[in-house]
Amino acid sequence: MSVFDIIAQYHVGLIQGLIVTFKLAMIIWFFGLLLGGVLGCASARWKKSIGVPARLCSFLLSGIPILVFLFWFHYPMQAILNVVIDPFITAVVALTIVNMFMVADLIRNVLAEFPDQYITAAKVCGLSPMQTLFDIQLPLILRQSIPGLLMIQVNMLQATLFASLISVDEIFRVAQRINSIVYRPVEVFTALAILFLIICLPLNGLALWLKNRFTRRVFER
Amino acid sequence: MLTAENIYKSYGQNQILKGIGLRVKPGKITALIGPSGSGKTTLLRCLSMLEAPNAGEINFDNKTYRFPLDAGDKIIPPWPDLTVVFQQLFLWPHLTLRENITLPLKRTGREQELEHLESLIDLFNMRLFIDRYPDETSLGQRQRAALVRALALKPKFILLDEITSSLDVEQVGLILNELKAMRDRGIGILIITHLLHFASEGADQIVFMDKGQVIESGAPAILKNPRTDRLKQFVSIVEAAT
Repeated sequence: MSVFDIIAQYHVGLIQGLIVTFKLAMIIWFFGLLLGGVLGCASARWKKSIGVPARLCSFLLSGIPILVFLFWFHYPMQAILNVVIDPFITAVVALTIVNMFMVADLIRNVLAEFPDQYITAAKVCGLSPMQTLFDIQLPLILRQSIPGLLMIQVNMLQATLFASLISVDEIFRVAQRINSIVYRPVEVFTALAILFLIICLPLNGLALWLKNRFTRRVFER
Repeated sequence: MLTAENIYKSYGQNQILKGIGLRVKPGKITALIGPSGSGKTTLLRCLSMLEAPNAGEINFDNKTYRFPLDAGDKIIPPWPDLTVVFQQLFLWPHLTLRENITLPLKRTGREQELEHLESLIDLFNMRLFIDRYPDETSLGQRQRAALVRALALKPKFILLDEITSSLDVEQVGLILNELKAMRDRGIGILIITHLLHFASEGADQIVFMDKGQVIESGAPAILKNPRTDRLKQFVSIVEAAT
C-alpha cells in the first residue's frame, strides 16, 4: 500500500481531519492575531501598566513547552476548577493564549523600534497625524511585522497537532487512527508530512519572500 | 522673517540654551556654527517648533509663539512653510524618491506644484535616480532628494542640520550651489555646519554659538577677523583640523 493509496482510500477521514485542523487553526489565528495585536499595541503605548506584566507573562510562557501548557489546561486546571471542557475548546484557548503572546511580543517590538524620525519628517512636511499614520507608520509597521506574523501562524498551524494528544480529532489523530488499522507508519506519516508540506511550504515561502522584498525598505541606511 | 528671542531650553538639570536670540532673513543664508554640544541642533529643533522652548518667543511671518505655553494651549507649528532637512535625511524608505517628494505635495493640497516638480528634478540633476528607492541611491543623491522634498513645498524658511557632514568636497560644492539657488528664490535658510569655508563662501550671516549662547554674529568676514577670543580659538582649531 503506497502513500497515494492511503490518501485515496482514507481521503474522507483525512479531509475531515484536515477540516478540524483548519477550523482549529483559523480560530487560533483569528483570536491570536486580534488579541495579540491589541495587547502588543497596548504594551507599546502603556509600557509600565500593560507592557511589563505582558512581557512577564510572555517570558514565563516561553519557558513552558506548548504540549505541557496544553496538558495543564486539559487535566490539572479542569480538575482544580472541577469542570469538564470540550478538548477542542481547551485546545483553542491554550493555543490562542500562546499565539496571542507571540504576536503581542512581535508587535510591541516593531512599534518600540519604529524610527521616530520618519514621523518627524512627516510633521515638518506638513502631514497631519492621520496622514502620517496611514501613509508612513502603518505601511512601515506592516512591512516589518507581516513576515514574522506569517512565520508565527505557520508554527501555530503545526502546533495544532498537539491537540491530538488531548483527543481532538484533527489530522494527526486521524493519521494515527488510520495507522492503527493499516499499520503502515512510514506511508501514513509520509502522507501526513506531504499534506503539511503542501500547506506550510507556500506560507513559509511567502513569509521569506515578503521578508526579503520589504524589510530592507523599513530602516534608513 | 524668522526670529527667536530669549530662548531657554533645558533637559532636566542640563541647561542647553541660555537666552538665545537669532534672526533669519528671507532670501538670505544664515550659517550657525559652533563646537559640538553648543546647542545648535537644540536651537534648530526649537526654532522649527519640533520642541517647545522652556521660555522665549519665536516669531514666524508676523505670528508670535510665546513660551512657556499657557496650560491647555497648543501651538500649531507653521509646517511646511517652515521646514527642516535633517542630517540623517529621514527619507521614507518604503517610497521611491519621487514618491517621497510628491506625497507631501498631494497631502497638503499643493498638487499644482507637481507641474514644477520636473523642472526641480532637472535643476537638481536627479532624472537618473528619481524613481529609485532610498536604499538604491548614494548619500549625495538622497541628500538632494531630501532638499527637493523640502523645496517642492515652497517653504518660506528652511532649516538645515549638518546636511553636508557626510559628503565629499564635490558634493558639498553642489549643495552650496543649490542653496544659493534656493536663496535666490527668496527662501530664508538657516544651516548648521562644521565647514567654515562652506559658511564663509555661501552664507550672508554667521552666528557663532558656544555653551548655549550666541557669542558672536555678523557678516562672513568675522571668520577672518573674529572679535571674540572664543571664536578666534574655534576658527584656529577647525582650520588646523582641516
